Amino acid sequence: MKTQEEIFGLVRDAIVELFELEPAQVTPQARFNEDLEIDSIDAVDLVDHLGRVFQRKVSPREFRNVRNVQDLVQTIDRLQQ
Amino acid sequence: MAAPAHRMPAAGRPARDRQHARRADGYWWRLPATGLCFVVFGLGGLVLGMLILPFARFSTFDVSRRQRRARACVSAALAFFAGFMRGIGVLRYSFEGRERLGRPGQLIVANHPTLIDVIFLLGLLPQANCVVKAALFAHPVTRSALRSTGYITNNTADEMIHAAEDALRSGECLIMFPEGTRTTPDTAPRLHRGAANIALRGASVITPVFIRCIPPTLSKREPWYRIPFRRPMFILEVGADVDPAPYRAAPLPIGSRKLNDDLTSLFRDMGPMRNLPS
Repeated sequence: MKTQEEIFGLVRDAIVELFELEPAQVTPQARFNEDLEIDSIDAVDLVDHLGRVFQRKVSPREFRNVRNVQDLVQTIDRLQQ
Repeated sequence: MAAPAHRMPAAGRPARDRQHARRADGYWWRLPATGLCFVVFGLGGLVLGMLILPFARFSTFDVSRRQRRARACVSAALAFFAGFMRGIGVLRYSFEGRERLGRPGQLIVANHPTLIDVIFLLGLLPQANCVVKAALFAHPVTRSALRSTGYITNNTADEMIHAAEDALRSGECLIMFPEGTRTTPDTAPRLHRGAANIALRGASVITPVFIRCIPPTLSKREPWYRIPFRRPMFILEVGADVDPAPYRAAPLPIGSRKLNDDLTSLFRDMGPMRNLPS
């Protein structure tokens, strides 16, 4: 079990590594499409990558309603329970 | 008094109009023959899907053998149809470098100027996989033929990417049209990143195929009966292989953007179709 802060840290690291963004850009409120320019194909890469980080098979269906970084952290938090 | 537009002297008009100026190459035969081709394709699709492919489907429990048989049937039918179109004189075609297609794990990326590009590629490659527009899996003519082949649908990015990655990794040869839809006439191709992404995930090699159709026909929003004044010539040319390895040094989203940019310029360098000699 990881806390939401730990999950956020891992998610931020993943986004920074995959998309070569500055860590400061990855705030909980940052929206994927508009603020981070992460599109649907990037999202597949990100979900695959997070699946490896959290060592868990994830279905992209579970991420359908994710709009910003905070949504993603909460989804992962819910999946680990 | 000004001459009517269609009587304008050829010298004063751009090259593209000059070659379209007169109906030739058996125009009045090609017009109904083109209609006949659509009928033959429709009937062929139904016969294949309802009478022939069910045999392939029920011939064995082994899914991959079933797919191989279904693909061989679809490919043979398309090869026949390409020959039929040439035989009754609605088009000509040439295919340069075809012996370099069909390698294991090969991703074939082609531009998409006309409705019938895929007929030449799939007709040539009996075992190739292909990413097919989701709507064709629902279309009455193509639906039943497509279901047994195991071709990949572009339904969602996630499903398409993972199915294509698996196909390439298992050694299949995969055909994609990265523009996602037919090229808008007289514009440079715009490639979606999906193909580049898939290439970096699973392809052993990427091979571009440049398709030209001179004069243009069967492009988007063009009704079937608006056939060109000259018999169209399809020229398919297999380009040099692109090695995916260097692009894998960067994270996937970065590498696939770079590869997509490079593939885009390959297709842009072939030039807009109208500037080619007829």
